[in-house]
Amino acid sequence: MADLIDSLLGIAPDSPLGALRRRRPEALRHAEGAFRELLLPEDPGGLSRAERAALALRVALKEGDAALAARFRALLVAAGGAGMAAEVEAPGAPQGEGRLAALLRYADKVALAPEGTTRADLDALAAMGLTSRDIVAATQLIAFVPYQVRAIAGLRAMLQEMPR
Amino acid sequence: MSRFTLKAVGWRPRLEPVKAETATPAQLAALDACPPAQRRSAYFLTLAHDPGSLGERGALFNIVMYAEGGLPRADRELATAVVSMVNGCVFCTSVHAKRFVELTGDEPAMQRILDEGWAEEPDPRRQAVAAFTEALTRTPGAVTAEDIAKLRAAGLDELEILDLVHAVAMFANANRLMLTLGDPLLPKQM
Repeated sequence: MADLIDSLLGIAPDSPLGALRRRRPEALRHAEGAFRELLLPEDPGGLSRAERAALALRVALKEGDAALAARFRALLVAAGGAGMAAEVEAPGAPQGEGRLAALLRYADKVALAPEGTTRADLDALAAMGLTSRDIVAATQLIAFVPYQVRAIAGLRAMLQEMPR
Repeated sequence: MSRFTLKAVGWRPRLEPVKAETATPAQLAALDACPPAQRRSAYFLTLAHDPGSLGERGALFNIVMYAEGGLPRADRELATAVVSMVNGCVFCTSVHAKRFVELTGDEPAMQRILDEGWAEEPDPRRQAVAAFTEALTRTPGAVTAEDIAKLRAAGLDELEILDLVHAVAMFANANRLMLTLGDPLLPKQM
């Protein structure tokens, strides 16, 4: 079965690169599993599915992966978060004091300048009512998109020298 | 002198970790999917606050770092040490630099990388692995077939290249978690 990365790269599971990827079946399975647990958890706790899609969209945009961003935009709409899209996609630093702006500021820091984060960044999320579970989930999600971006980028380069 | 070291670096979480004795069954099951030696570390107990993501992500980490065949483990450790240096994760660098030394016995090579980087790395295979790793970490969108060709020229086959891509990607993730959820404890602070 084609997974997210196959579909983004336009490769078939039985193509040379698709078959190569399936020599590491557990890597595919658990990357899909992490995606499901982070974006579409059965119990999202205090971080809604729309907020999760918004964070992932923000990171994919900041990382410059338009195809991946389009997937997260569709997830955002499907989760009823279409109204958040403009704020998520606005260039520059997120403005305002709202919850979404604070989440997006956190996403930018973790994705783009993780070495500059401090305990105060986590305390600010807790002060908005996020539990430790919500904070860990948000951080896992924001840190997972850079995994996807680099896996996709490496595979895209490999695809350039392989037949589809 | 570089701030990167082969000495043991500690890590202090910024959130109160889950306590093993009061963890839920879901949290314990997720911890069991993580590398055995680290299941009770402060890092994994912090991630256990969200067991769903820990279980899947822990299993992904395991397969990326320890899957049999393909890229030799020493090359995976080299790559993950290089990613960690690029991202400024002193903790992750120390862990994976040390594993590289354990696997290769070549402490001088790793010490030189920690001190001076990899631009002048004399071993052509290590140089190719490190240069590709830096490029995919810093500018993923700019990596092309030319970069892959350099890995092939250094002797990597396609499964090894796939494993390298996975290892580099995994540490884009791991470094961000470590740098955000805790602080490194440098040797002089321990």
